[in-house]
Order: sequence, then C-alpha cells, then structure tokens
Amino acid sequence: MRIVLEGVRLAFGRAVLFDGLTATFESGRTTAIVGANGAGKSTLLKLAGQFLEPDAGSIKAFDGDRELLHAELRRRTAALAPTMNLYDRLTATENLRFFAGLRDVTVDDLDGLFARVGLTAEDEKKLVVEYSTGMKQRLKFAIVLAVGADLWLLDEPGANLDEAGRSMMLKEIARAVGERKLVLLATNDPSEEAAADDLIRL
Amino acid sequence: MNGIKILTVLRKELTAGLRHRAASASMLMFALTALACMSLALGGSPLEPNVLAALLWIVIFFASTVGLDRIFEDEAASGTLTTLKVYADAQSILFGKMIYALISLSALSTFLLPTFIVLFDCPVAEPPVMLLTIVFGLIGLSGAGTLVAALSTAASVKSGLFSILLFPIVLPIFLPAINLTSAAMAGGEISLTMLIPMLLFDAILLVASSILFDYIWN
Ligand SMILES: Nc1ncnc2c1ncn2[C@@H]1O[C@H](COP(=O)(O)OP(=O)(O)O)[C@@H](O)[C@H]1O
Ligand SMILES: [Mg+2]
Repeated sequence: MRIVLEGVRLAFGRAVLFDGLTATFESGRTTAIVGANGAGKSTLLKLAGQFLEPDAGSIKAFDGDRELLHAELRRRTAALAPTMNLYDRLTATENLRFFAGLRDVTVDDLDGLFARVGLTAEDEKKLVVEYSTGMKQRLKFAIVLAVGADLWLLDEPGANLDEAGRSMMLKEIARAVGERKLVLLATNDPSEEAAADDLIRL
Repeated sequence: MNGIKILTVLRKELTAGLRHRAASASMLMFALTALACMSLALGGSPLEPNVLAALLWIVIFFASTVGLDRIFEDEAASGTLTTLKVYADAQSILFGKMIYALISLSALSTFLLPTFIVLFDCPVAEPPVMLLTIVFGLIGLSGAGTLVAALSTAASVKSGLFSILLFPIVLPIFLPAINLTSAAMAGGEISLTMLIPMLLFDAILLVASSILFDYIWN
C-alpha cells in the first residue's frame, strides 16, 4: 500500500495547520510524525487514513497502481489513539471479539493474543472499567493486532505504557513492518522516533 | 452489508444494554408516570377509541424519545464512537442499532399495552390488526429514531431537539397507526389491507435511512 499526500492544506477556522504538505508513505516502512503538542500530529494521521478531508490538495491510497476506494481503505486500516475508547461495561474479551467481528475476524487463540500484549488469562474476563490506563492501551493494541490491517495509524502508542509495554510495542511494530504493513506513528517518545524508518517533523 | 456483522453489533448492544439499564429504565419510568397520571386524572370515566388510540401512541412516542436519543449520544460521550468509526461499516451499525431499538421498544410495548388495556378498560375488537399496527409503527419509529439519533449526534444538536426532529419524520406512520389502532379497538369495517400504507412507509424509511447513513457515518 502507498499513501500519497499532495499540496495538502487544512485550516481550523483561521488557524492554518497544513499548507502545501506533500508526503508519501509506503508499505514496509514506519514513519514517525513528531512535533510539539498541537503541532498537528494526530490530525495528520486522520488525514492519511481519510478520516478527515483536506481543504485543498489530494490524499490518495494505492494498492500497486490501483487507487483504493474509501471503503476499501477503511477495511484495511487499524488505529489506536488516546481519543479512541473501549466499552467499559464489556469485558476485555467481549471488546476484542466485537471489534474483530466488525472486520469479519474471529480470534482463535485468545490467550496467545493477550499474552502477546502482556495481558494475562485472568485479565481476559475483566470488565474494561476495571482496567488501568496502561492495560487499556495494551487491549487497544491487541485489537490492532487482531484485525490484521495493512495500515496502522498509531497515535501516541506508548502513552501510559511501562518499560516492558513500550518495548513490546516496538517489537510488534518492527514485526508488522517486516510483514509489509504501513505504520504511521505520531509520537513524542525518542525511542519510538529512533525506531522509525522515516521522520516528519511538524 | 452483512448479516453476521449486524448480529455482532446487535449482540454488543444487548450485552451493554442489559448491564447498564439506564435507557430502558428511563423509557419504562416515563411510560409508567404517563399512564399513572392519565389514569388518575380520568378517574375511570370511559374514553372513545380514537382518544384512547391517540393517548397510546403519544405515550409510545415520548417514551421512545427518552431512550432512543441515546443511541449515538452515549457512544460519543464515552469516546467509543471514534473507535467504532474506525472499525465498523455504516450499514452494520445502522441496522444493528435499529434492530436493538426495535427490541427495546417491543419490550416496552409488551409491558405498556396490557397495562394500558386494563387501566383504561380498553376494548380490543380486532387483536391481530392491533398487534400488526403496533409492530409496523414500532419498526418505523426504530428506523426514524436511529437515523435522527445519528443526525443529531453528528450535528452535536442538544438532545432536547431529538423529539422535535423525530416527530415530522414519523408523522406519516403515526397518523395511520392511530386510525388503525382506534379501528382495531372499536371493530367494524376493517381489513388487513389497511396496513399496506404503513408497511410501504416503513420500507421507504428503511431504504432512505440506509442511503443517508453512509453520508452521516463517513
Ligand atoms: N476538530 C478540531 N476543531 C478545531 N481545531 C482542531 C480540531 N482538531 C484539531 N484542532 C487543532 O489543530 C491543532 C493540532 O491538533 P492535533 O493534531 O491534535 O495536535 P497534536 O496531535 O500534534 O498534539 C491544535 O491546535 C488543535 O487545537
Ligand atoms: Mg495528538
């Protein structure tokens, strides 16, 4: 997959966030998007995933030479962001099965998946309302892993994670890139920035 | 659209809805309060079938607005709407939530209808027509309610406006519903073919919702 931004302009009211932004993101690469709070990192991820339309310029996703339709791109996108919450009154397993089910994915090895993100078999049955913020972050990442998308939009993936959590995240990202996934990483974490192949500084 | 995904959404709504009964509780409380007020005020004086039918549908309408306006508002408030928008396609959400709304309204009516009949000493000459009228009315109400809930959440309209937006959309269903309910109570010249206009409007409403919802969701 390839995502091409050309001459993108986006303004919120009178505040111009992007003007003439041009960039290309390719499968098999991680691009870190860094910048101060409010610089537009999260907004750039939304633009790249076509969750937001630019005021001018174009944003296209390609599979080879074929442009992907909006619905196709959406089906091949997984995302994680501080603003994306899970259902407090469902258990971790119910949350995972629900979001995976929306993508026609049935999770066979539940224990294995939870273990991959550092959650125990006991955590599987807990209601998400009983989870700590770090555990929620791990569960959100488990959903990203479960749906098997080609495009990963990770907004501050290391937020609220402990040292082990952050290294698990980096290891999984490296593995995903090895499987030719396209990873975009909005971050302020130096170790995540260092792990990326390309860098956009806003 | 795919049936399994619609069921996935429906199952999640049922699980979450049964664990957190705020929406169904407020619908039920509204219906109870309205019935108690009317029954006390009337003090057993008999009412004409057309008045009874209008009262019944007024209670159903307002009880439903109390529950249905939360369909998307709760998801927006808890921050799950953004996650849902990443992973779900529009049609599965629309129909999953619509079926859940229909199940909630049916459950409400299962309680409301017998209570109403007993409290107001209401005649039912044609039970099948009465039941089908209510089912078709509830289908229209669930469809319109889900669509308007999505619209008002997308436009961040305050929830007080929900019933004002909903009312004109369900009016073409309510008018025949009130007439048919009244006729089913009184008996006389009545046939099942009189349900066809309601059925048609339900169909139009579902198709229009399905087309519109793609734009609201994306
Ligand atoms: N929906 C919105 N409406 C108005 N302003 C917005 C909206 N989304 C983002 N912004 C503004 O755009 C700027 C960039 O936001 P964001 O992309 O979230 O920054 P970052 O993720 O880099 O911290 C901020 O100044 C923010 O206030
Ligand atoms: Mg941000």
